[in-house]
Amino acid sequence: MESVKVLDAKGLACPMPIVKTKKAMDQINSNEILEVHATDKGAENDLAAWVKSGGHEIVKSTEEDEVLKFWIKKG
Amino acid sequence: MANSKVAIIASNGGLFDAYKVFNIASAAAASDAEVGIFFTFEGLNLIHKEAHKNLPLPEGREHFAEGFKQANVPSIEELVQVAQEMDVKLIGCQMTMDVMNLDKDQFIDGIEVGGAATFIEFAKDANITLTF
Repeated sequence: MESVKVLDAKGLACPMPIVKTKKAMDQINSNEILEVHATDKGAENDLAAWVKSGGHEIVKSTEEDEVLKFWIKKG
Repeated sequence: MANSKVAIIASNGGLFDAYKVFNIASAAAASDAEVGIFFTFEGLNLIHKEAHKNLPLPEGREHFAEGFKQANVPSIEELVQVAQEMDVKLIGCQMTMDVMNLDKDQFIDGIEVGGAATFIEFAKDANITLTF
């Protein structure tokens, strides 16, 4: 999956993954994909809720070695 | 959350209180809500220049300090900055400041000072209202 930007939010606790995702999202264009890496276990539910607020979409997510990865398409 | 409004009253001045207020406020602002916080009574500690850097843990809960470090939770200073970057409106209660003999310049930059009516005017069409 082609992302135009990767956000490393590993090690950050709530609410910083959401705050950083919001800032990174502001820098890309509609239909482009932001890749987010996080270790905060709450990030999975938080990002799912957050994308709804801005009309974005999580198009793919994986978990590997306790790192959660999300590909978010900007709405 | 765009076009929604979150109105928060912060009336307690401990570290736990500060996290409740600023985490919810930052998450709401990051979700494109318009956010305003009214700081009153002990809640004023949360935006006091010196006090907000060293807020007390509840009695008997001092051991949580270690947990905050391990979980890599941002400091309150950092969260206040994040909130201000995302245009969260911070309103200090004039009456409490008078009672406590505090001036605006003893608070972090960028706050507004107002009374209950200022907050009510902001909160009258809020979608979410919270008190901490």
